[in-house]
Amino acid sequence: MRHIISMLVENESGALSRIAGMFTARGYNIECLTVAPTDDPSISRLTLVTIGDDQIIEQIIKQLNKLLDVVKVVDMTEGRHIEREMMLVKVAAGALEQRDEFKRLTDIFRGRILDVTEKIYTIELTGTSDKLDAFVDALGGSNILEVVRSGVIGISRGERHLKV
Amino acid sequence: MDTATFTSLHSDTTASSRHPLAGQTMSGAEMIIEVLAQEGVDTLFGYSGGAILPTYDAVFRYNQRHRSAAAQGDLDEPMRLIVPANEQGAGFMAAGYARASGKVGCFLVTSGPGATNTVTPIRDCMADSVPVVAITGQVPTHAMGTDAFQEAPIVNIMGSCAKHVFLVTDPEKVEATIRTAFEVARSGRPGPVVVDVPKNVQNWVGEFRGEGYLDIRGYRQRLETLRSAKLSDRKCRSFFEMLQRARRPLLYVGGGAVVGDAQRELRDFAHTYRIPVVSTLMGLGAMDTTDELYLGMLGMHGTAYANYAVEDCDFLIAVGARFDDRVAGKVEEFAPLAEQIAHIDIDAAEIGKVKGVDWAHVGEASRSLQQLLRYGESMGFEPCFDAWVEHVHGLRTRHPMGYDRTSELIQPHYVIEQLNALTGGSAIIATGVGQHQMWAAQYCDFREPRQWLTSGGLGTMGFGLPAAIGAYLACPDKTVVNIDGDGSLRMNLGELETATTYGLPVKVLLLNNLGDGMVRQWQKLYFGDRFSASDKSLRRKDFIKAAEADGYEFARRVTAKEEVAAALQAFVEFPGPAFLEVMIDPDAGVFPMVGPGSSYKEMVTGEFIPARQAAPRSGRSGGAEQDAAEAETQPQSPDLF
Repeated sequence: MRHIISMLVENESGALSRIAGMFTARGYNIECLTVAPTDDPSISRLTLVTIGDDQIIEQIIKQLNKLLDVVKVVDMTEGRHIEREMMLVKVAAGALEQRDEFKRLTDIFRGRILDVTEKIYTIELTGTSDKLDAFVDALGGSNILEVVRSGVIGISRGERHLKV
Repeated sequence: MDTATFTSLHSDTTASSRHPLAGQTMSGAEMIIEVLAQEGVDTLFGYSGGAILPTYDAVFRYNQRHRSAAAQGDLDEPMRLIVPANEQGAGFMAAGYARASGKVGCFLVTSGPGATNTVTPIRDCMADSVPVVAITGQVPTHAMGTDAFQEAPIVNIMGSCAKHVFLVTDPEKVEATIRTAFEVARSGRPGPVVVDVPKNVQNWVGEFRGEGYLDIRGYRQRLETLRSAKLSDRKCRSFFEMLQRARRPLLYVGGGAVVGDAQRELRDFAHTYRIPVVSTLMGLGAMDTTDELYLGMLGMHGTAYANYAVEDCDFLIAVGARFDDRVAGKVEEFAPLAEQIAHIDIDAAEIGKVKGVDWAHVGEASRSLQQLLRYGESMGFEPCFDAWVEHVHGLRTRHPMGYDRTSELIQPHYVIEQLNALTGGSAIIATGVGQHQMWAAQYCDFREPRQWLTSGGLGTMGFGLPAAIGAYLACPDKTVVNIDGDGSLRMNLGELETATTYGLPVKVLLLNNLGDGMVRQWQKLYFGDRFSASDKSLRRKDFIKAAEADGYEFARRVTAKEEVAAALQAFVEFPGPAFLEVMIDPDAGVFPMVGPGSSYKEMVTGEFIPARQAAPRSGRSGGAEQDAAEAETQPQSPDLF
């Protein structure tokens, strides 16, 4: 099953490499990973998406908890949560018919066209990974020139929050 | 974490008194040495080199300042320096020192090759949860990343092997980092910590504070939770409900009981409820191996009776053990009749990692057992496992350890039995890795923990000699014997000279079978007798000459069985470093053996250990009464109840 694991880590050099290294050494996969400092500059928030059965996820969390740089870990997927990912995608949009179609699709998916040339649209879209996947499918592989995805971030719904 | 908790965690080390040198100006290198002294380091193992020279100089000057008038040699220095032949030796010496004493071992090496030579001991310490602090020199910060002379990315390399690696780039933090390294090494599940110190940080001059730690909030919070972890009454009750229901409980004890100094509580627990005990390779000595409730080692080369007890038990209580593949074999069939498994471990990640358990507690082994005992006492728990104890004693009587006692050739088991008779289970025994290691584990007695030094998790050949040297320095009042094989000894042969250089009366007992015996044993079993790379009968090494060349005044070879006992006695009693080579039967095997990934049912006991036939899976029906006498006359009959 797909899990979103969020953690607070010390904003130290080497922290990211130790976390990624643990995944490699123990054979766990990382589907995507994003990391950036939080409001507290000494702490970074790292979010990663991994796939595994309950036992593997339990091990991943326990092993993460053994790393010195890791301050707190939660499995977002355990509770109600909001998941977001951002995507920038560049599509070939030369023909009028394509331009209309892509504009319409962008509206349907509540995206935004950020940049336009005679031949190209650059579109921004935010949502769950599923939604981004669906948009990519809808655009059609042959039209896509470039895709950049931010990786998933997540936050709990309601009162729960992740803080030092 | 608030400051109050933070202070309380360190109350023992930061005591109210100010460090006498606090406020003084000194170099980073001097600060490192002052913190080592503060942390109680009396012995430093290591090899100098370009990037660590300032710190070696600081050791020299520290000793100069603090040397007592009566000091006579290297070993009398307040911070003795033991210089090995190879940095790997320094790492294992520090590990031997730590394993034997329970204190943090410390070693000091240079950058690049000096540091990479210690990757193996660092990983070895990680696998066996041994607290060591390694200080590695690094090229100056401005040269890092330029492929400078003797530069290696130690943070990356060691990051995959150690409990933690610190790279000190801010010289203001050097003092706190070294102190924190010791804290991390010894706390929680202990392990190796590496501190990489660039040369310019060692040369930097600043103010020594004499106190202070790095702020590692996540780790400290988790540690605090661990320290305050208390077994709830509800949990104690459910444990005793399981024990109440059980008829055949078995304690399965691992290295955690040794590392966590839980021997007293463990022995108390076993005796109070009369529960038999089996031990892993790493757990040897936690239970006195001569205790009537003790059944020996379990697992791949465990005693037949220990493994049968595991097969027969209905309640398995794991304490500081991790269901390693050498123990569990085929996991699904490990302890197949155990209706309940309980697991106490300090590392939450070990719970359920290999085998699902019914009851688990994350905490210190000693405190957990103590809490259980107290609860059991308060509820007036009075179990009766006499029939089961009688059963396992029967197993021990009917399936004892054995080997070819009539052979003309010297059997390694015999040599170890003789040695054990001389030392009475009170010596510190170090080993290499392979057959000799298993024979030593099977035939040596350990009255107390920390007497058995072996590379269990990583299985590093060459571990024994340097570990024995480190152990002697930690425990100079003990007899220290390194039982080694010809393959393992070769790996760190250079350290023979280290023992004589410092005049350490370490005893090296070489069981020479002219090859890598364990590899040969597997080649016999699984590779059609094709002895690829394991036969060393044509090698030219004369170990006696080698020992003599390294200054051993006692260096003897024994080739006849009748000479063994007398030679061993002279060897053990020799006042200085001693070397004894015994030419053993090259075909001797290690039995019993549970093949890799096999279940205990498939255990091969060999020619000299009577096996019992596969037992019927009758669960808890039947009785203990029927088995003993019948089994003697009818080897086919099941002796499981």
